[in-house]
Amino acid sequence: MATQVDTSASTGAGRVASPSFWSGVWQNHAPGYLFLLPWLIGFLGLTIGPILTSFYLSFTHFDLLTAPRWAGIDNYMRMFTNDPKFAASMRVTFVFVVFSVPLKLAFALGVALLLNRGMKGLPLYRALFYLPSLLGASVAIAILWRQMFAGNGLVNQLLANFGIQGPSWISNPNTSLWTLIILAVWQFGSPMIIFLAGLRQIPQDMYEAASLDGASKWRQFWKITLPMLTPVVFFNAIIQTIEAFKSFTPAFIISGGTGGPINSTLFYTLYLYNEAFGFFRMGYASALAWVLLAIVALFTAFSFLTSKYWVHYDD
Amino acid sequence: MSIRLRRRQFLMGSSALAAAAAFGAGPAWAQGATLRQFFWGGQARADRTYAVNDLFTAANGASVDSSFLAWGDYWPKLATETAGGNAPDIVQMDYRYIVEYAKRNAIAPLDEFVGGALKLDGFDEDQLEGGKVDGQLYGISLGANSVAQLVNLSAFEEAGIEPPNRDTTYDEIREKGEAFKAANIRGGIRIIADGSGSEPMLDNWLRQKGLALYTAEGTLGFDADAAVEWFTLWQGLRNDGICVTAEDQALDTNGPLETTMVVMGKAAMMPSNSNQLVAFRTLMTDNLTITNYPRIAPGVGGGHYRKPSMFFSVGGSSANKELAAEYLSFFVNDLEAAKVLGVERGIPCIDKTREAVAPDLGEADQIALEFVANLGDLLGPLPPPPPAAAGEIDASLLRVLSQEVAFGARTPEDAGQYFVSEATAILQRAS
Repeated sequence: MATQVDTSASTGAGRVASPSFWSGVWQNHAPGYLFLLPWLIGFLGLTIGPILTSFYLSFTHFDLLTAPRWAGIDNYMRMFTNDPKFAASMRVTFVFVVFSVPLKLAFALGVALLLNRGMKGLPLYRALFYLPSLLGASVAIAILWRQMFAGNGLVNQLLANFGIQGPSWISNPNTSLWTLIILAVWQFGSPMIIFLAGLRQIPQDMYEAASLDGASKWRQFWKITLPMLTPVVFFNAIIQTIEAFKSFTPAFIISGGTGGPINSTLFYTLYLYNEAFGFFRMGYASALAWVLLAIVALFTAFSFLTSKYWVHYDD
Repeated sequence: MSIRLRRRQFLMGSSALAAAAAFGAGPAWAQGATLRQFFWGGQARADRTYAVNDLFTAANGASVDSSFLAWGDYWPKLATETAGGNAPDIVQMDYRYIVEYAKRNAIAPLDEFVGGALKLDGFDEDQLEGGKVDGQLYGISLGANSVAQLVNLSAFEEAGIEPPNRDTTYDEIREKGEAFKAANIRGGIRIIADGSGSEPMLDNWLRQKGLALYTAEGTLGFDADAAVEWFTLWQGLRNDGICVTAEDQALDTNGPLETTMVVMGKAAMMPSNSNQLVAFRTLMTDNLTITNYPRIAPGVGGGHYRKPSMFFSVGGSSANKELAAEYLSFFVNDLEAAKVLGVERGIPCIDKTREAVAPDLGEADQIALEFVANLGDLLGPLPPPPPAAAGEIDASLLRVLSQEVAFGARTPEDAGQYFVSEATAILQRAS
């Protein structure tokens, strides 16, 4: 059967869509496609369809109640020439990404190094440290954060023990974004687990050889651990950067959906949400979403292009 | 091979069974008409509404499938359902949105049912007028309310200061505020919340000056001078510790009532609405009441108005418009229903229901009823419905600018100028 199809396909190179070709494909692969169907329907209907629709909508004005009106590149023009809130949300998001991602990775690596020393009860600690990552994006944690960093919250009560009068962290425009960065760093669990797995992959004989040569632990870290770990660092950096750009729930909950005070926590995604579901500008919101996609794609492409200068694959 | 066949037969058999069950149940279920209802509010409102729905089902036979969300979540959901051609039969509507929904035929005109399914004898004329768009009736007011200041009487008593009354002016608030600050009770609670970012408070202040927030044409009803004066007034109150600090006020994100300044114990007064006294009393053990917004000078009034607190409208694509109109009629006319509802949605608009409700009211409801009924010289005419972009100007301009002034990122002069120019631009973009 299979050979039959192969020959018909190769001989009919000029007329690929011949009935015999398709019926052959169908006869041979029907069960495969049938098994694929539930996923395929979801992928086309719930992912590709909405993505293409949003691309179309980004060139329209659409308020949900009336049909979309074609707007050309109006939405994109407004974004880049005449929208101070777009600029503000960009700034907030970049500050968040630039600070939260490296801090989170450094923290995750630090904890992974500690856990890698083979202490007692390792599985328990691993689970405990991973827990915040599972809870992090949840509404409950964001509410807890709001309570902790409020004017009379836990953080200020602790500071009061040292005689420091802390500000109302979440409602002060100078500090509110930092509470969100700390929240993001606290969710270091998932990169930490991946670092831990990466550390386990580094051959022990390298360290033994280095010790024999008299290299200090510090030197071993910089000369063996970190270079050997760069593929994992690279992977974590990309995943966490994308996550950070997409971050939404904490800012939404902590600022009550406003991005305040004074737009200091107006994440790009939060601005997008407010434009779409606060002011019903679906067209503009779609355009914002596509610009975010372009930014994330650029970041990722840049990371891949530079990776050959700092990521070491031992094969 | 035979096994496979058997499996297939089994699959076919079971799916046929499932299909039969689904199709069989459909028609039988649809026999008694069901109205879908959607409203915003909290649990107290939901309990009362569901009780009325049961009364309606008992009287009429039709059932009501009802759901509710908080204000902020309600509008996106309603817009999405409307866009999907799946709007509920009965929707709760706000003065701010009724024009937008009516103009897009997302809600249906009700004139054809008036006198028939929809009985409106003795309905307050002003309230009826408030539900009209271009002369057609699109919404039935569920009650009248007015903006009001929530006053924590317990805090005033503790500070030994006379609480404000209907003659109190902004200047007197300042004097009382000095005394209040000097009393230094409850860890430095201030007399009043920062009202500079409150759209209703600005509206009230403008109306007392003979201006308006928006004109009937949907343009801004005041100039930069007035806006600068407004931000300067609050800057003074803030700097002198009369109103709460910028950091405290920023905790109020216009979300749940729990994050407001009075409930959080930061201020003894704040702008609110007459029908909300009931809800606030359930959140605090302190003795609360309501009074009017301050006057700009002794004897100046006209800032307040009795507005339809909310409407019920009928979905434009509803298949059961007449039944929905019957429901609305029942909701505003039936005396049993009125007793269940009380004044939680505002003061009933029909004389006989108002009279039926009055004797059974709790103390908080009684205060709200008397406040709205006796506004006297504080009462001005009902302003035209705000333009579509009003919500955006409130959320992303007024409140942000008020914070910028409070945190020192802008001067009141700068904020006032910027407010007027930017609001004008937003209004133009939206039209």
